[in-house]
Parts: sequence; C-alpha cells; structure tokens
Amino acid sequence: MLSRKTELVLGAVFLGLGLVVVFAWAPLDSETAMIETFRRQTTMGDAFLPTVAGALMVVCAIVHLIMNYRRADLFDTENPPIDGNDLAFLLQLSGITALSIALFYWAGPLAVALFAQGDGSETVTYRQMRSTYPYKLIGFVMGGFSLVFFTTALIEGRVKTIRIFSSLIVVAVLIAIFDLPLDNVLLPPNGDW
Amino acid sequence: MSVLDYIWAGVMAVLAGPEAFSIFGIGISITIMMVTFGFLLGIVIGATPGLGGAFVMAVSLPILISIFGYTPDALLPVMGFLIGVMKGATVGGAVPAILFNTPGTPDALMTTLDGYPMAKKGQAGKALRTAHFASASGDTFSDLVLFTTAPFLAIVVESYLGFAEKAALIILSLSFVAAVVGASPMKGLIAAFFGILVASIGTGEDLYPRLSMGTDFLANGFPLITAVLGVLILGEVIFSFEEIWRDRRSTRAASEFKQSGDNGLSWRDRRALLPYISVSAVVGTVIGALPGIGSTLAATLGYATGQKMHKGPVPFGEGTPEGVAATEAANSAVSGSNLIPVLSLGIPGNVSAVFLILAAESIGGFNPGPSVFRFSVNEVNPELVIAFGLFTTMMIGNILNWTIGGQFMRWVGIMARVPKRVLMPMVFLLTITAVYVQETDMLAVYFLLAFGLLGYVMRKIKMPILPFVIAFILAGNLETAMRQAFAVSDADPFFLFRSGTSIVFLAISVLVVIFFSRKQKQDVAMSSEVS
Repeated sequence: MLSRKTELVLGAVFLGLGLVVVFAWAPLDSETAMIETFRRQTTMGDAFLPTVAGALMVVCAIVHLIMNYRRADLFDTENPPIDGNDLAFLLQLSGITALSIALFYWAGPLAVALFAQGDGSETVTYRQMRSTYPYKLIGFVMGGFSLVFFTTALIEGRVKTIRIFSSLIVVAVLIAIFDLPLDNVLLPPNGDW
Repeated sequence: MSVLDYIWAGVMAVLAGPEAFSIFGIGISITIMMVTFGFLLGIVIGATPGLGGAFVMAVSLPILISIFGYTPDALLPVMGFLIGVMKGATVGGAVPAILFNTPGTPDALMTTLDGYPMAKKGQAGKALRTAHFASASGDTFSDLVLFTTAPFLAIVVESYLGFAEKAALIILSLSFVAAVVGASPMKGLIAAFFGILVASIGTGEDLYPRLSMGTDFLANGFPLITAVLGVLILGEVIFSFEEIWRDRRSTRAASEFKQSGDNGLSWRDRRALLPYISVSAVVGTVIGALPGIGSTLAATLGYATGQKMHKGPVPFGEGTPEGVAATEAANSAVSGSNLIPVLSLGIPGNVSAVFLILAAESIGGFNPGPSVFRFSVNEVNPELVIAFGLFTTMMIGNILNWTIGGQFMRWVGIMARVPKRVLMPMVFLLTITAVYVQETDMLAVYFLLAFGLLGYVMRKIKMPILPFVIAFILAGNLETAMRQAFAVSDADPFFLFRSGTSIVFLAISVLVVIFFSRKQKQDVAMSSEVS
C-alpha cells in the first residue's frame, strides 16, 4: 500500500482514464456502438467491450478513492513511488536504449554506405547486403554490445574492462543461437530493411 | 477411439514422435530431448538468483517458435520444453536458498529459514537432498491430481455451461485473480479492466480497428507475446536495474561454510519426512489449483502447517530438514495443479500457465479449455492426443527429476555466484532479440519497450501485473463468449443473468472482491508474480 495521497492520485488518474474511455474514446473511435441493430438483427458492437471495461474501471476507481479517502494513513512516511532518482535513472536508461536502437538500425546501412560501394558504378543498398557477412551482423553486434555494456556500467556505477568481454560474449552467444543454425531468422534490424 | 486409445496415442506422440537422434539404433524423440533440455536449463536458471523459470519460458518461446514453426508438430516439443523449465526451476530455486541464504525464486524464501542454518551447520548436502526429495514428491503428487481432475472438470464445464456461463466463469476467474494478487483488490480489478481495454485496441469485428485513433501502428493491435513479455519480463528487468542501481555501492559477499556434518539422506530420514511432505503436497496442490495464488503463499502455508506438526529436537527456523521438506513440497506441488484451470477451463492462473497458453495460441492447433477433453469415438480429437502428450511430458519431467534432478541440482550451486547486475542486462538484450526474431519488425521492439515501461510503473505503484496479463489474454475469449451469449439470448440486456449458474458465478465474483477488500493483506503476494 502506498501513501494515502499517492493512492488518491492513482484513483483519480484511473477515474479520468475510465471516463475518457466511456464518453469519448470508445464511442468516437469504434465503427459500431455498444449495441447495433442492422436489418432487424441486434448484435453487440465493437464499442461494447472497451466501454464496459472503462465503466467498470470508473466504478473501481471511485471505490478505491472512497476507501483511501476514509482510511487512517499508516504509510505517511513512505516515499513517493517514483521520485527524482527514479526519473534520473529512467532518463539514463532511455538514453542508452535509444543509442543502442539507433546503432541496431543504422550501423549496418552506414557500414554499407562507407565500405560496400565497390567501384562506384552502382549504388549498393543495405537491403541487398543484409544477408552478407559482416554487414548482416554489424547492427546487431554494435547495438547489442552497447545495450549490454552501457546498461551494466550504468547499474554498477562504473566501467569495468571485463564487462567489455562479457558483453561481447553474450552478443556472440545470441548470434550463435539465432543466426548460425536458423536460416529463416532475421536478427535486428534486418527484417526492417 | 476409447479413453485408453487416446491415452496411448498421447504417450506415443511423445515417445515415437519426430526423432532428434538415435543411440545404438534407438531413436530419441525430439519431445523427450526438449523436456530434458528444458528441465536441466530450468534447474540452472532456478539456481540463479534474480532469474526464474518465467524468464526462460518468456524468452525461449519466440526462439522455439522460430525453430519449430507454426505446425501442430511443434506443440509437444515447445510445450514440453516449457513444462521442463517449469519443473526444473522449482527444484533449482532451493539451491542458492540453502547454500547462500538467497532464494533463487521467491517461493524458495521460506527454504532459507531452515536450509541455510543447515548449511551453516555443515549439512548443506543433506538440506539439498531433502529439498529435492520433497520437491520431487510434491510435484509428482500434484501432477497426478492434475491428470485425474482436469479431464473431469473439463467434461462438466463443457456439458453444463453455455456461452453466458462461460463468460461469467471468465469474469469470476478474473475477479478472483484481481482480488487475491497484490495488496488491494480494487487495484487488481483496475489492472484487469485496464488489460481488457488495452487488448481491445486494434481488434474487434468491424473493418475499422477500434481504438486505433486512425493510426497504422495501432491498427493491428499489440502482438500478444510482445505485450506479455514487455509487462512481465522487461518490466521486472527495468525494476531490477533500478534496484541494483540504487544499491550499487553496497557489496555483499556470500559466505561459505565448511561442510563436515551428516550430509546423507537415508530411507529412514525420508520416511520421517513423509508426513510433512504429504500435508504440504496437499496444501500446495489445493493452492495451485486456484487461479492467481502463487507458490509463495503455498510455501508459507506449508511451512506454517509443518511447524505446527513438528515435535523434533531442532525447532523450525534453526536448521531442521522437516522445515525444508514442508516448504519445498508445498511450493513444488503448485506446479502441476496450476495447470488444472488452464487445461480444463482455458484460464491461466499464474505466469507459467500464461506462457503455456501463449505457446498454444501462437503455434495453433491446440486451444486449452474444456473442448480439449472431447472423447469423440468416431473421429480422432487431435487436441486430446496433445493433452495426453502433455501429461506424458510431465511424467518424463518427473522421471528426470527423480533420477538426475538431485545430482544436477547439487552441481549448479555455482550459478548462485553469477551476479544479477551482469545477468540482467543480458536478459534485456535477449528479450529484445527474442521478440524481434518472432515479429521481424522494430515496431514490436518499440511496443516491447513501452509495455516494459508500463510493467515497471505498475510495479512502482504496486499495481498487480498478473490480473492485467490474464485479462489481456482472456479479453478475446470473453468478448466472443459475450457476443454469442447476447446473440442467443435475442439481445436480452440481462443476457448474463438468465441462468442460475451464471448468476452464482457473478455473485461469487462480487463476494470474492468484497471478502478480500475487507481483509487486510500483505504486499508479499506481489513478489510471487514473475517467478
């Protein structure tokens, strides 16, 4: 149980979400209403399930609000569930993830653009090279390595040389599991090109 | 086909299925190989603190589907592997609990109370043998209850329940899970309705995908495996990252003790443990059959019951084998019986069951639920053959557990030394890779990350994850049952209240929520969700 104030805020958030679903999102963003009558046949429309889910969420949120409004608070000293430290951590983790995904996605095409253009008579695209070593693995190796290495460094609070090797090993193991034995499997990002 | 023919067909589907390799001319079926591999991997992962069977089941599912494809032949090897992992992880969780006072899985927490003091007294070997004996006994008992109960329950459900009753039964299951998991039934219910809402996005029967806001990326809804892996696994990974990040300056070295005491487990010792194991096995089996109640509660109740029965010289909590046996028999007895609601009703009651349902839904050709147990005489019901095949894989898992499980679990103690801070980033990459190879689209990775963030936030605000996941999975079945019930009732607005059975189910749903809302609950149930 969180502090009374936090629980009240949570109840209000879900109450708001439920109301939006019931009065705006479900009716306006579904082709058929809750109940549809077509050629004298009455059926359940697409809006039924989300509207009922939203309405019941509203009911539960109201009960939750009432229960927490009336409760004697034993958890006043609890920290808020997400504080500045959490946000700082999430920001750093998001940065690492975004960098790694960018490497996943762009490292291969960049390598092809730089090193696979041959005599220059014809432009070679990554799509043409995505089944060819080493281009097919460059994105995964660089993205995967940076994801594991930088995340480990973040949570350990320091950079250790040995983690370079462990990060490379895990990437190599994943390539051995997915790429070497399975012809029909595409590692990131090769399915998108 | 008679009942015996179906059972035999299921056994042969496993034993004489596609061959992986042969030894001295005897073919070893790929299903047996996968069960064995899953079981051994499950022990290793169970023995690794911070990881649990659910992690392996989650990340291996897309890999296995990539390997075996979407054919009915894939069902037994893939589901056999998952069952092997489930059984292995249950046994393995006791290893670090006993050796290093660190439970490998949350349900092994109670094992530390007596297992670690035994290790400190130089009896680690005896504690591990006791844990294995109790775990294998509880698991086998639970499986036997599953084999005998699930078909009968399914036949009753299929015979007596119409569309409205089935919809009411799903509502009852969701209410029960929402009420018992986590500290607040209201938050559990909100999580369940939120799960239904999210599952509604991009689905429906009309041409326009509902709630998609006219966007292309929401038009196909959220891939099931991606969403479940995101909330359950990635959410847990991010949560663990943050915990390690906060505690990064504290270093705690696990200490080892010289082992010189009595480390054997004689037949006489085993006989003395049997009363504790029997009672705990029954407790665990009953708890496991109820959706949403995890093995952590079973272990706690088993331990408490054993403590009341105990009259030996060493009290519970000071290193007595009876304490280890009572805990391990109870938490292992959950693993078989928690498949009762899955196989007989199609309702997953815990995380392991979620992944079995996901495997069945992804591969196709097997829809867990009451229709599986149709003993049709004139034509073969392939789903029933698969069901008996699954029972066979469970028995193979038990045989492996009784034969090589004990020795193997004593070898994997080293896994407890692998630091979580090194493992978790690897799981992060593995999860992303597993989802990508399944969906072959970066959009799935973005969905995975978004659901991971959702899972993290839900953990932070202490909103239970399991009701969300189960509601997300069952939303489609619930809507189909409600549409059909509405149609056959000639559009009666009270279509759910037309039969006594559905009224009883709905009344129990409300009563369960009221009962648990009045009862002060502890936050401990939260921790049992992923492992």
